[in-house]
Amino acid sequence: MNWIIKQIHKEIWSPYAAGILLGIVGILAVVLSNTLLGASGAFENIAGMIGKAIAPQAFNNTYFKFVMPPGITWGVILLVGVFFGGMIGAATSGTLKWGKKDAVNDDSQWKRIFGPQTWKRWALGFVGAIILEYAAGIAGGCTSGLAISGGMLLVPAAFLFIAGMFGSGIITALVIYRNRY
Amino acid sequence: MNYVIALFLGGFFGFSLNKAGLTKYNKIVNQFRFTDMAVLKFMMTALVVAMIGLYGLRGLGLVKFPTVPNTYIVGNLVGGLIFGIGMALTGY
Repeated sequence: MNWIIKQIHKEIWSPYAAGILLGIVGILAVVLSNTLLGASGAFENIAGMIGKAIAPQAFNNTYFKFVMPPGITWGVILLVGVFFGGMIGAATSGTLKWGKKDAVNDDSQWKRIFGPQTWKRWALGFVGAIILEYAAGIAGGCTSGLAISGGMLLVPAAFLFIAGMFGSGIITALVIYRNRY
Repeated sequence: MNYVIALFLGGFFGFSLNKAGLTKYNKIVNQFRFTDMAVLKFMMTALVVAMIGLYGLRGLGLVKFPTVPNTYIVGNLVGGLIFGIGMALTGY
């Protein structure tokens, strides 16, 4: 029992242990709900809901009608769970910084590359996330929804996606880090 | 009931991501610099565990697979390429 509590309080697990936990979650999602663990689709569901309320004309297209129907879907609830699960994870390892100044920008590596300003972190996070969501829309899933969930069902799309992701990710990291690589 | 399952599974999903350190910028970007292989180890372990579990359960006739993500080569590849840029920038 003590051992379990000690493990839960550990900040970083072996990636293998955490991977096994995610694998089991992936199996349970299929067994219990017959769905896959998609995270990016939920944003589009919510966006569709907001868009329908504000500008129903603009959102009356095939994409929001059939591909990503707006509403509180299984994925949206999953995302709420992910949020709180991540928070519990941080709280148990004692790294949860709720409301502290500059808590969002505490990564020393990030500061070394981009500078210490917090607004830069926000701006880059925002822009990067737009790129992410847009790409996830094109590919039909993100790291969790397509790469992991698709991969575990041996879907070719997942492996194409992983190849693309790493290809451009490596190049982007090279460009950002250039001399400091 | 389905929503309770979603909330529960999401909780464990987020917990495992956090404990693997994937909620940190440096973990993600260092994967692309090949100085920290945690992301790949985490993803591949999850894949292997889930693959064995799901195909085993299907072999026993206990589970039916949901509709799988569509494969359209150009879309998946281009999407992946753009996704990587965002991933290396944000550390998502």
